Amino acid sequence: MSHYEQREGKPPVKTSPKGFTTSPRYCCNKGRSPVTCLSPGPALAVQAPVVLPEAAEDAGESGEVPSFLESVLWMAAPKKRRSIEVNRCRRRDHRKLIKVKRNIDVCPECGHLKLKHALCGYCYAKVKAETQQIRREIQKKEGGPFKAPTVETVVLYDGEQPTEKDEGKRIIERARKRPSWFIQN
Amino acid sequence: LTSGRVFPLSCIHTSASLEKFGKWEKKNRIVYPPQLPGEPRRPAEIYHCRREIKYSKDKMWYLAKLIKGMSIDQALAQLEFSDKKGAKVIKEVLLEAQEMAVRKHNVEFKSNLHIAESLTGRGHYTKQIRYHGKGMFGIMKLSRCHYFVKLVEGPPPPPEPPKTGFDQAKEYVQQLRNRTITHSL
Repeated sequence: MSHYEQREGKPPVKTSPKGFTTSPRYCCNKGRSPVTCLSPGPALAVQAPVVLPEAAEDAGESGEVPSFLESVLWMAAPKKRRSIEVNRCRRRDHRKLIKVKRNIDVCPECGHLKLKHALCGYCYAKVKAETQQIRREIQKKEGGPFKAPTVETVVLYDGEQPTEKDEGKRIIERARKRPSWFIQN
Repeated sequence: LTSGRVFPLSCIHTSASLEKFGKWEKKNRIVYPPQLPGEPRRPAEIYHCRREIKYSKDKMWYLAKLIKGMSIDQALAQLEFSDKKGAKVIKEVLLEAQEMAVRKHNVEFKSNLHIAESLTGRGHYTKQIRYHGKGMFGIMKLSRCHYFVKLVEGPPPPPEPPKTGFDQAKEYVQQLRNRTITHSL
C-alpha cells in the first residue's frame, strides 16, 4: 500500500507547481503519460471520470503563483556533497586543461620568441622606446599643444645632414647613432 | 674604541620564513658519493620552489600540468604566451632554477634540462572583508599557493602512447586469469 492510500483519501500535499505529484503513482497509469491519478483508492478500470474533478481541483490550487516563502522550498539545491573524485573528474577533464600552443616562433630580428600572427614583443618595445624619445624632441620643438606645422617631419641622427629630398621638411635631431632598424630614405 | 660589535636583537632574526626550510628546499642538500667508472651516469636533479604566491592552487595546477614533462625551453615558451597570472611567476621560478643548476649543480648545458615534477601546494589563507552596498559585507578568502619544480638533466622522456582499448582489454583478461579459488587444493 502506498503512503497515499494510508492518508485516508486525501490528495498528497507535495505538489510541484506544474500540478504533478513528485512521485507518480502507477496504479492506473499502465505506461501512459505521467499525469498521475490522485484517487487514493485502488486502480479503476476507467481512469477519466474519477480523476478529472480532483485533478482539476489540484491544478486549480497549484496553478496559482506560489508565494516567495513557498517557492524558496523549490530552489535547486545539491542533494549530496560532490566527492573529491567526482570534482577531480570535472576539473581535470581534457577540455579544461590548458592547450599547448603550437604557433610560437623565433623572431629573425632579435631572436626572442614571438607568436606567428603577432609582432615580436622585444622589437615592438624597442621601437616604442625610440618613438617616445622622438616625440619628446618634437614636443620640445613645438613647445605646446596644437602647434604642429603643416609640413612633413624628418628624423636625423648623429652626423647626418639633410639631403635635397628633405628641403621643405621639419627636422628633428636625435643625439644618438641611427638604430639599425630605422632605415634612412 | 671597543672593537666588539654589538648586534641588536632585532637584526638576528629578521624573518622567520627565511630560516624555515621546507622539505623541498632540503632536497637540494643531498650529496651522492662519487660514481664508480662502470656505473651509468646519474642525471643531475635540481629542486626549486617558491612559497606563498598570491594565486589559487587550483588555477596554478593547470599551469603545472601544462609544463609537466616538457623541456625547459618549451616550458618557458608556453609560459611566456600564457595569459594566466601564475605563468609569470612560474617562468621566474624556472629561470631561477636554471641559473641555480648551471652555477651550483654542475649542469653543463642550460637547455639540457627537463621538468620531471611540477607541483602546487596550498599556502596560508587569510580572510578579508569585501564591502557591498547597504552596509552589507562579505568575507573574502585570500588564497596563496606554493609552487614546486624538479628539473632533471637530459632530454625530456618520450611521451607515453595513450592506452588503447586493446591494452585495456588485455589487462582485463589477465586480471580474470589471475583469479584463484581460495582454500582450494
